[in-house]
Amino acid sequence: MRLRLTGGRVLDPANGENGVATGSVRDIEIEDGRIVAPTDQRADAEYDLGGDVVLAGGIDLHSHIAGGKMNLARLLMQEDRRAFPEMPGNFCGCGGGRAVPTAHATGCRYAELGYTTVFEPAMVGANARGAHLEMADIPNLDTGAYLVLGNDDFFQRLLAAGAHQETINAYVGWMIEATQAFAIKIVNPGGINAFKFNARKLDLDEANPHYGVSPRRVLTTLIRAVTELGLPHPIHLHGCNLGVPGNDETTLATIAAAEGRRLHLTHLQFHSYGTEGDKRFSSSAARIAEMVNGNPNISVDVGQVMFGQTVTASADYMSQYRNRAIASPNKSIGMDIELDAACGVVPFEYKDKSFVNALQWAIGLELFLLVEDPWRIFLTTDHPNGGPFTTYPHLIRLLMDRDFRNAQLATLNKAAQAHTLLSQITREYSLEEIAILTRAAPARILGLTDKGHLGVGAVADIAVHTEDSDREAMFSTTRFVFKNGRLIVKDGLVVELAQGTTHVARPEFDRAIDKDMQRWFDESVGLKSKHFRVADGELRGGAGPTILKCEGVAS
Amino acid sequence: MADVAIETIEDVVCGFCGLGCDDLRVEVEGRALRAAGTICPEAARLIRRLDVADRPASVAGTAVDLDTAAEAARHILLGARATLIGGLGTDMAGAGALTDLAIRFGGVLDHHASDGLFRNYASVQRTGWLATTLAEVRNRCDLLLVIGEDPAGQWGRLFERLFPEAPLFAEGRRRVVFIGGAPGETARRQLGHADISHLATDDPVAVLEALGALSAGRTPPGEAFGGVPATELAALAEAMGAAHYVVATWNAAAHDDGDLVAERATALVDRLNVTTRAGVFPLGGRDNIIGVNQLLLWRLGYPLRTAVRGQASAHDGALYATEAALGDADVLLWVSAFRPEPPPSFAGKIIALAHPETIFDKEPDVLIPVGTPGIDHAGTVFRMDSIVSLPLGALRVATLPSVAEAVRCIAEG
Ligand code: SF4
Repeated sequence: MRLRLTGGRVLDPANGENGVATGSVRDIEIEDGRIVAPTDQRADAEYDLGGDVVLAGGIDLHSHIAGGKMNLARLLMQEDRRAFPEMPGNFCGCGGGRAVPTAHATGCRYAELGYTTVFEPAMVGANARGAHLEMADIPNLDTGAYLVLGNDDFFQRLLAAGAHQETINAYVGWMIEATQAFAIKIVNPGGINAFKFNARKLDLDEANPHYGVSPRRVLTTLIRAVTELGLPHPIHLHGCNLGVPGNDETTLATIAAAEGRRLHLTHLQFHSYGTEGDKRFSSSAARIAEMVNGNPNISVDVGQVMFGQTVTASADYMSQYRNRAIASPNKSIGMDIELDAACGVVPFEYKDKSFVNALQWAIGLELFLLVEDPWRIFLTTDHPNGGPFTTYPHLIRLLMDRDFRNAQLATLNKAAQAHTLLSQITREYSLEEIAILTRAAPARILGLTDKGHLGVGAVADIAVHTEDSDREAMFSTTRFVFKNGRLIVKDGLVVELAQGTTHVARPEFDRAIDKDMQRWFDESVGLKSKHFRVADGELRGGAGPTILKCEGVAS
Repeated sequence: MADVAIETIEDVVCGFCGLGCDDLRVEVEGRALRAAGTICPEAARLIRRLDVADRPASVAGTAVDLDTAAEAARHILLGARATLIGGLGTDMAGAGALTDLAIRFGGVLDHHASDGLFRNYASVQRTGWLATTLAEVRNRCDLLLVIGEDPAGQWGRLFERLFPEAPLFAEGRRRVVFIGGAPGETARRQLGHADISHLATDDPVAVLEALGALSAGRTPPGEAFGGVPATELAALAEAMGAAHYVVATWNAAAHDDGDLVAERATALVDRLNVTTRAGVFPLGGRDNIIGVNQLLLWRLGYPLRTAVRGQASAHDGALYATEAALGDADVLLWVSAFRPEPPPSFAGKIIALAHPETIFDKEPDVLIPVGTPGIDHAGTVFRMDSIVSLPLGALRVATLPSVAEAVRCIAEG
């Protein structure tokens, strides 16, 4: 099957191509789902793009799209589902919801925005099989999941017993393989575990009440493990003290703790709060952005807050237990999970007239605009925690259009306006920078060499937008989206459902650990380790995963 | 016939009651199956299979091949005004296929064991709850409240699984307090190493309410609550406050006021978490009800008791419950692959995807006997906690279609 897209302005920062700036158009040729060098051969289909902007399919590296906590959120927030029923013309009739859309709606809404790959950033090992079943039902997207590690009792016990790094590495490798994960996520390092022993907070250097292990040790040990196992993505960290005023110090100390090794700080906005001012809540975005700028080993995503009703879902039960007090509507679910992790689901409405919410909004934008390197910052709302992913087009306009941004700012809580330097920031993102944030950079930090660009050999995941000076309008819809070279969206509407794949990473590790895992599961968890393990054939309806083999750097 | 060797399969996963035991031993002799070693009565009964010929598919009682039966079923579904897809005792693949079927032909989806689930959901959707899972109970719980009747009859290995002899964290002798019915012999045996006490009452809701007040530092007026002396409840409240990890468990299906039990237990656990740690551990999970419910949540955005019509779905916990929905339906598609659960009595047309040993009051219009997940074919089921799911294996060569296969036959023709 050969396709030709003719006359598009190709915006492909990974390959240094910017047809938008130069005004030059060219053709893109696709054969059997991959981009190939142009030929003279007859194409099975040709699409005249008439100068429209051609981008690689969007990649969201942090969006909660599957797993037990999303289903708890759906259960808890039936009002979200009822308020957003199936869209007209939605030909398979099983989609709805906004903050927690169904699997089908997730796949369709993302595709309409030009996204073709999305990573679930908090898969709990005990729930891995269920999360993979759910991901298989998301159409149009390739997926992958980060395994939540560091709060599990097996790991904490290893640290408390002073286990060798090799043993830790073997454990991490075993868990990645067993759960079919792509990367390691740490959520509130050790804090979720400490909460099970009734600790209500845990600072970076505080000892776990049972194991005596500090979050710093959890972090540094797991950073070493993923480095030595050769996992492409660095530790994906949701740090200590999420949402707590004064957590800026923790965040700065965490960056320092990485000691130059690669580390990804996720939803940084929620970790950039100072305690200045009469309300004891202030922006530390400038300080933190400066530190990010000075540490090239650090990458971040923002977790931008967008106003409106949403539901927050996190493995960080310790923090979510605290947040229950501000649930809106007033209900929430918490759960300790399987000596493994936990979850907390708290509905929340971000209000533009609230001082705290308005300042959170401003802090997120300050981070976007003050972190200089677009290759190390990613566009996220931590869907649905800061807001649903369907607000991305609005967020893109906030980044690209200073007048629009300032006009929005002027409508917010007055005290919050006085506490942000946002109005003085002149930076406007270029289209090329947006393409980096949403395509090229995530592919690079995830080690996906055939995605996020439009060079020969790339997967033919392609989004075509018609240029519009109103960037929100431009990114709200797509003229065409191709998934693996198949047309799935035309003029903003899903026209076909494609089955995606699931990316997993496969590191080498010392399999002697298997005996320990068998004993642990048998005696403590009460489940056989072989039944915990998810087989390849259980992914994507039997199709199995797309495996990225890792080259370890140490034996 | 040549002698067939007996083969023993170890570490068999059980998908029947929702507890998810995965250490069963099953002896296989040709097509005959028998559980070996010590095992709960439910699994022993449901695993036992004889080497007999399968009951054939039938239309109005006349034996036909699968394709003919599927064709007849499709014909009925196409002519249906309102279909209830009930029973729903199936693995994840079957649940997915039935959801596709509902989207294509329309229908209300409910599971035969959903009463308890929805009594619990009344609480969850109003206030939410703070819950826990099996491995946490096993290792952390030092004070377990068992509310209502002793659940060991329905979950034969519950207490063995919840309270192993050597937990990682719970210190000293662990306590179990039965609030309601007395613990039976099985419970006592499995809890041999724990301290068991019993607060006899036929009004556990009143007891939970008093415990909630006492835990919040209030003294509710009265000498006794649900027949339990206030002094005993005060002592229990104090013990809960001093415990490290309190767990409350109940079977909402067993009480008419199961919704109130769930609500009061949830409130009590909420209160306890202010100063110590606690979680609810609601019982349920029979015939993969949790898995089917999970799938509906991610596929349709709604739990069980959802109607799919005209490419849109709507949920109503009362209107779309089996009994009420049958009042409006003219077709019942009954699915029960785990056990020979007969359909409820119904005057309209019945299509049954049923366990081959099902005894029907009235011959179904279409019968397609189906294999059992975990016996005839592999599959996935969820445990009662909704987090852990398990891979069921096949113990013998399937001669009957799985639910998913039968449904696809019906849908595709
Ligand atoms: S207790 Fe339940 S899961 Fe365990 S063996 Fe018996 S029926 Fe199966």
